[in-house]
Parts: sequence; C-alpha cells; structure tokens
Amino acid sequence: MLQQKRWRFAILAILPTLAIFAWVRMYPIVETLRLSLHQWNILSKNKPFVGLANFRELFHDQLFLNALTNTSIIAFGVVILTVPTAMVIAGLIHHRTHSRFSGFYETSVFIPHVVSLVPAAMAWKWIFDAKLGPLNALLEFFGIPAQAWLFDPVLSVICIIILCSWQALGYAVLIYLVGFKNLPVSLFEAAKLDGASGVQRFWFVSVPMLKPITLYVSVVTLISAFNVYAQAFVLASDSQGAPGRQVRVLVLDMLENSFRNYRVGYAASEAVVLLSIVLVLTLIQFGLLREKGRK
Amino acid sequence: MASVDIQDVRKFYGQLETIKGVSVDVPDGAFVVLVGPSGCGKSTLLRMIAGLEDISGGTISIGGRVINDVEPKHRDIAMVFQNYALYPHMTIAENMGFSLRLAKRPKDEIDQRVREAAGILGLADYLDRYPRQLSGGQRQRVAMGRAIVRNPQVFLFDEPLSNLDAKLRVQMRAELKDIHARLKTTTVYVTHDQIEAMTMADRIVVMRDGIVEQVGAPLDLYDRPNNTFVASFIGSPSMNLLQGVNADGGKSVRIEAGAELPFEGAPPTVGKVVYGIRPEHLHLADDGQGFETVATNVEPTGSETLVQVRLGDQIVSALLRDRVNIRAGDTLRLGVQADKAHLFDAETSQRLG
Repeated sequence: MLQQKRWRFAILAILPTLAIFAWVRMYPIVETLRLSLHQWNILSKNKPFVGLANFRELFHDQLFLNALTNTSIIAFGVVILTVPTAMVIAGLIHHRTHSRFSGFYETSVFIPHVVSLVPAAMAWKWIFDAKLGPLNALLEFFGIPAQAWLFDPVLSVICIIILCSWQALGYAVLIYLVGFKNLPVSLFEAAKLDGASGVQRFWFVSVPMLKPITLYVSVVTLISAFNVYAQAFVLASDSQGAPGRQVRVLVLDMLENSFRNYRVGYAASEAVVLLSIVLVLTLIQFGLLREKGRK
Repeated sequence: MASVDIQDVRKFYGQLETIKGVSVDVPDGAFVVLVGPSGCGKSTLLRMIAGLEDISGGTISIGGRVINDVEPKHRDIAMVFQNYALYPHMTIAENMGFSLRLAKRPKDEIDQRVREAAGILGLADYLDRYPRQLSGGQRQRVAMGRAIVRNPQVFLFDEPLSNLDAKLRVQMRAELKDIHARLKTTTVYVTHDQIEAMTMADRIVVMRDGIVEQVGAPLDLYDRPNNTFVASFIGSPSMNLLQGVNADGGKSVRIEAGAELPFEGAPPTVGKVVYGIRPEHLHLADDGQGFETVATNVEPTGSETLVQVRLGDQIVSALLRDRVNIRAGDTLRLGVQADKAHLFDAETSQRLG
C-alpha cells in the first residue's frame, strides 16, 4: 500500500517536468518526423502525404549535398582542432595551479563560450577582413601575402572552423579540467620516479587516462558543430554580400527551404537527416563508453 | 645498494614546520622502518627522500651523494605507493617495464628484466593482464616488480600493505622480507602499524610530531623504550602506564588506588613516576601476593586471554597465556614481573634507568 502511494507521489512529482519535456522536446521531434513525410507550404490547410519523396529528392539536391558536405567538414574540423587544444590548455592550467594567474587563465578561456554568437562572429569577421583585418596586417608585416580569408572557398571554411573552435574551447577546457583534477596524483608521482618528463607524463598518463573525457568532449563538440549556423551566416557572405552563401550549412539550408521557399516538409526531412547523424554519433559515444565500463 | 644519510632535515609548509630536524642513518642493505601515528611526518620524510617533496633544511645523501637538488629520476630510487599507483591502461609487463622504456633500453633487455622480476614475484602468468584483472595482493606484487625491475640503490615503501586484508598482509609481510633477504637492497619502509615495523625491520625509527623519538632494533625498542610514547606505541596490546609515587626511594611504586607494584633495575627515584608494565608481564597471583582487583572486561582469543581490570581510575590490561575461566565482574589477584617493569619520569615522560 505504502509502495503504491510512493509510486503515485513520485509520478505526480515528475509529471510537470515530463509534461514540459514532452511539449518542448518530444512534440517538435515527432512533428518534424511527421512533416518530413508530407508536403506543406506553411499556409495551406492541406498537407498531402508524400511518403519518402522528400528524402529521395534530398539526395539529388546539390544545395543540400553541398550544405551537408560543408557542415560535416566544419564539424569534424572543429573536433580535430578543439579536442587536442583543449586537452593541452587544460593540462597547462591544471599543472600550473600554483600560479596566481590560473583563475585568470580559466576565465579567459571560458569567456568565448558565454559571449553572444553574433557579436563574436562580427569581431572575427573584422579580424579576417581582407583589407582592414589585423590578421592580414600581421601576415604582411612578416612578408606573407594577404589572403582573401572570407571569400576563398577553402579559407572561408577554415575561418568558420577557427571561430567555432574558439567558442567550443572554453567548455571543452572546463570538462578536461574536471578530468585532470580527478586523475590520481600518485600516478604522476610514480611516472616522475619512473623517469618521465612533463611531456611524457602528459602523453603516457594523462592522455590515455582521460579517454572517457575525450570521448564525451568530442561527441558534444561534434554535435554542437553540426548545428553551425550563425557563424557561417555572419562570416561567409558571398561576393554579392548575401549572408551565409559562401559556405552553405545545413541549418541555413533548412531555414531557406522553410521560410523562403515555403517547403516545410522538405526542410523537415533535412532536419530528420541531421537528427539521424546526431543520433548515430550519440549512439557511438554510448557504445564506446559502455565498452570501456565493461572492461 | 647504498646507505641513506638523513641529517637535520626540516620541512616547512609556509610557517608550519612538519619535520623538525630529523637525523637518521640507514646503513647499506638495511631494512629500516619509519613508524608513528598519522601526521607524525613519516610519509613526508619518505617523499623527501624520493624527491616528491622539497627539502626545506638539512641534507639527504644516498651513497654519500647529497641529493637535495637532484631530480627524482636521477636519485636511483624506486618507490612503492600505498595505492600501488599502477597505470590502469597498461598491462602488467608494460607497467613493470615503463621506466626502462622511458630510459630507452632495448626491447630485449626490457623483456628480460621484466621476466626476471616477474619470476621472483610469481607474476609470470599475469604479464599480459591489466591491473584491474588482478587481486589486491597481486597488484601489490606488481608495484614491487616495477621497483625491482629498475634495480635501484634504495627501495622506498609508503604503507604498501595498508590496503590489504589482515591475512594477506601477514603473507605479504613475509614475502617482502624474503625479497629483501634475496636482493639485499637498502629499504626505507613507512607504516603506522607497529606489528609490521616489529616483524620486518632491522631498525625502527619511531616518529612523533616531526621528530624522532627513538631509533633502535625492534626488540631494543620493546625492552627499553626511551619514553612513555615509545613504550605505549611499540607492543600490542600496549604497555600499561600507571601514575604512581615512589615515596621512600624503595623498589616499589604506590599506585593511586593503593596497590604497591615492585620494580627492579631502575635507580630509586623519590616522587611521582610513571610505572610501565606490559600486559604480558602480568600474571594471576596466589593469595597474599600481587593486588586484588575486579575484571571489567575479558577477551579470550583461544591462545591467550586479555583481561582488563581497574586500579583506581586507571585501566590495566593483563594478557594471560594460560586458559583461565574469568568473567567480567570476577575478583582476581594479579602480580607483576618486577624485572620487566619500566619507570618513567612523571614530568618529562623519559625513561629512568
């Protein structure tokens, strides 16, 4: 009887949270899945069922394929740049905790993560500006020819990767710092007595011991990088000045299909593809973590 | 192998002095145990020898070479940690050979030395396993193996058996002693367990509050403790220390409750003294001898019986080897072996005679 009462109370207690979660999280996902199988122009009451036609069309749509390729390159580029950099920075901060500047270092690395996306991207747009930007000024100072950072198809992708990494770095460093703080000190002392230098201790002890943290950080960074939008929208205008056209990304393509072309069902199918990619990556993470735990 | 010479070593954490001018000489090939209660500075001293803590004052020499400013890896020492500190992502062979790998020794040599050490420790079948796949005792052996592989001048042990259960601890104690007898490497061993110290050491260093209270062979410390701290710390169950008065300079001490306890050996001292007698040096006495008392607690272990009695407001323990039928509340007479009694100054706690 008591057990039953407890259950009832527990369910009642979590019901409001569940209801909010269902409304703001589950419903949009289910609705997106449903819409992806229909045709809809936002205004019409008719939403004819088209089956997998949207998906079939997607894989012949050059704009979508271009956006998918760009987004994937950016996402993996961000991970490749962010994860090792974050680990090294966190290692330096952790092993310099006696420095009176350690708090300053931690804060300054984390600030980009909380700064508003658009103003930060505007600042970087100025840095990368071909004529007025300090980056080209610096290069010219060293005798290197100025580059059209935001107009060259390859360089503009690199610029977006740098901006996204700069923003993702703070969170990754924070997570790595927690990881470093949880590593047993005696292991490093043992390595010291075994004759390992600072770099060797980092390579042979920290890096393998932080594997679960690296898995988490890389998947979280990858997922958030797949949702890249504002950075590309601000940085990568084409030669006509149309924002985001130079480097087309998935979210931008979805927005255009929804609200410019009024093809909501089609955009929903793009969202489903993005969801599938993110889901697969999450499952890979769970799989790897579970395998680690079983050992 | 080499001797370790610790001269007037001090350690400050800010204004706090935790090691207060310690001097200890560890002869070549000796097994020296640093023992003392938690916070006495024994582990700090060991870590200073290892190079994991800076030396604030004094000098530490290994084999005649002052190593105060020498990097840990160049001190030619190997240390076994309390929690073993094995690299969880490396196999047992990789753990044991890690120092040689860092020293860029040829692979064949690493394999050979790892196999040799594994042979000594009975780990040959486990070389491909990971630390998590081994029991506590096996991990302890791997930690030992990692030290042996390096063939260092000095072994340092920081409470290496404290994570093991009682039975395994006894077994590992014997194994460690056996390994030391075979390798004859100078060893400094830290423990808070005085039984470990008594059973393993050639020489024991008893520490308290950052100073050395006494240095000596185990039985010397047991037979002639310098002060009441060493007297109570060495030996289990610990020595009874009873406040009393030697009124006339005779060969007995009157304890507060009225019992008159005899002693031999120590010079007559008039005034307040501390009378020390180990529980195993008390026995059941015949009528008219010893003192009469009431048992407050009886703990039979089979081979012996620990009886606690009250003398005034002081508790006295007696360890009786014979099978006795005593229960709490029973009245009994206890006698002491006068030649085994110790006298200490009541004010300075130092040994008299």
